[in-house]
Amino acid sequence: MIGEKIRCLLAMLGTDVHSKGIRTLAQLLRDRGVEVIYLGEHNTADGLINALIAEDADVVGLSYSTATYLHYTRDLLVKMKAAGVDDVPVMLGGLIHADDEPELREMGVKGIFGPGSSMTQIVAFLQDVTGKTLTAP
Amino acid sequence: MSDAIADAVRRGELRSVARLITRIEAGDPTIAATLRDLHAAAGNTPIIGITGPPGAGKSTLVDQMLARYRANGERVAVLAVDPSSPFSGGAILGDRVRMNRHNTDRGVFIRSMAARGRLGGLAQAAADALVVLDAMGWDRILVETVGVGQNEIDVLRHADTVLIVQTPAGGDTVQAVKAGILEVGDLFVVNKADTGSADRTVSALREAIEFRTHALGADAWHPPVPKTAATDNQGIAELLTAIDAHRRHLQDHPEQLALRRRAQARARVTEHLAEILRSRYLQPTNRSERFEAIIDEVVARRCDPSSAAARLLHD
Ligand SMILES: Nc1nc2c(ncn2[C@@H]2O[C@H](COP(=O)(O)OP(=O)(O)O)[C@@H](O)[C@H]2O)c(=O)[nH]1
Ligand SMILES: [Mg+2]
Repeated sequence: MIGEKIRCLLAMLGTDVHSKGIRTLAQLLRDRGVEVIYLGEHNTADGLINALIAEDADVVGLSYSTATYLHYTRDLLVKMKAAGVDDVPVMLGGLIHADDEPELREMGVKGIFGPGSSMTQIVAFLQDVTGKTLTAP
Repeated sequence: MSDAIADAVRRGELRSVARLITRIEAGDPTIAATLRDLHAAAGNTPIIGITGPPGAGKSTLVDQMLARYRANGERVAVLAVDPSSPFSGGAILGDRVRMNRHNTDRGVFIRSMAARGRLGGLAQAAADALVVLDAMGWDRILVETVGVGQNEIDVLRHADTVLIVQTPAGGDTVQAVKAGILEVGDLFVVNKADTGSADRTVSALREAIEFRTHALGADAWHPPVPKTAATDNQGIAELLTAIDAHRRHLQDHPEQLALRRRAQARARVTEHLAEILRSRYLQPTNRSERFEAIIDEVVARRCDPSSAAARLLHD
């Protein structure tokens, strides 16, 4: 449909406070034509899910800089399922260890962008999971 | 016959509401019947508009207002509009960061909207989104916009009470007067009263307001200038009292309320008219041969622009 944009919710869960990475990502995505709904740090799974519903986000991006991401991601995905919003794809960024990728995939995480990932990869992922095209260069 | 989506909205099904607003944002023409249905029953919820320069503390104020309204048991919806990047068309919608504590509260609904640089279209999309929220039966609706352009000012026309947020930081006041924002404000909030010389800003605003209102007659509303420090939760109760006073003023002067409603309706119809014309003639996909032929005549100076427009309309 004409006028459709990719709406991406970006947030940090739990006590993680290193928001520099997610802020940078927000700006890069905006520059690619994405509408970023920025939730910042200290979100709870329930709060994030309510925001996700109200914002009709196409995709959720979580950023982690601490090792607790397995716990928080699992908790979120379980609650998303219970809320009936597990159709919304979740992607992870930040300090994600390659060894944990299989477990994250099994939980239902659709995109994992650890250290060294490029914007091109993230943009391709977003277009793929949303079925929408980004028109910005 | 009532519309299925409209029914879902009235039942408060949040996902249906959120998806409908997305379709409004995208300019989906197939929701016209839904909007018609919802519009018929809307118009009962007080809408409070909040605008001012970026960083003035609007979202922080909204967060504190939400906390107070919730403490009073009121259920509140928020529409938060942020500008889109003119370069990429993307946006960072960051207002709700300041309101995150309300995310787990079912008595609050917050939706962000990007301005998307559409001529007149923002006011239209925001107004339709407000109709949807209105039909859900919230006790109040707050709408935040950045007071930069005509687009954003047009959004405020749909509010019953308009707050213009300023800060003690020098030039803002002059800017507000210049931008013609003085005419649309019902309250002028001086936020960040914990910093700088708030009292000077208050008196400068009072002076500008009095200059404008003294000619308006005894029954006119005189915009108050409350001081707040949103981050310290200071002055919020007084602000809410002033908002209620404005609402009562309109109730006590039904002729002023009627004028306002008429102006809102006029603005909405005008926006749609403009939109029809714009999409008929200006979208690259719709540029007809006839349109281009007349443009050729104007370029060759066989026809002037005004006559060209008149000829197109009379086709
Ligand atoms: N000192 C002070 N800072 C404030 C006040 N209100 C908001 N801020 C800060 O100003 C910045 C911008 O606030 P925000 O609510 O996002 O402004 P908006 O762009 O107008 O929505 C944030 O860092 C707030 O914490 C206030 O009353 N006093
Ligand atoms: Mg804001």
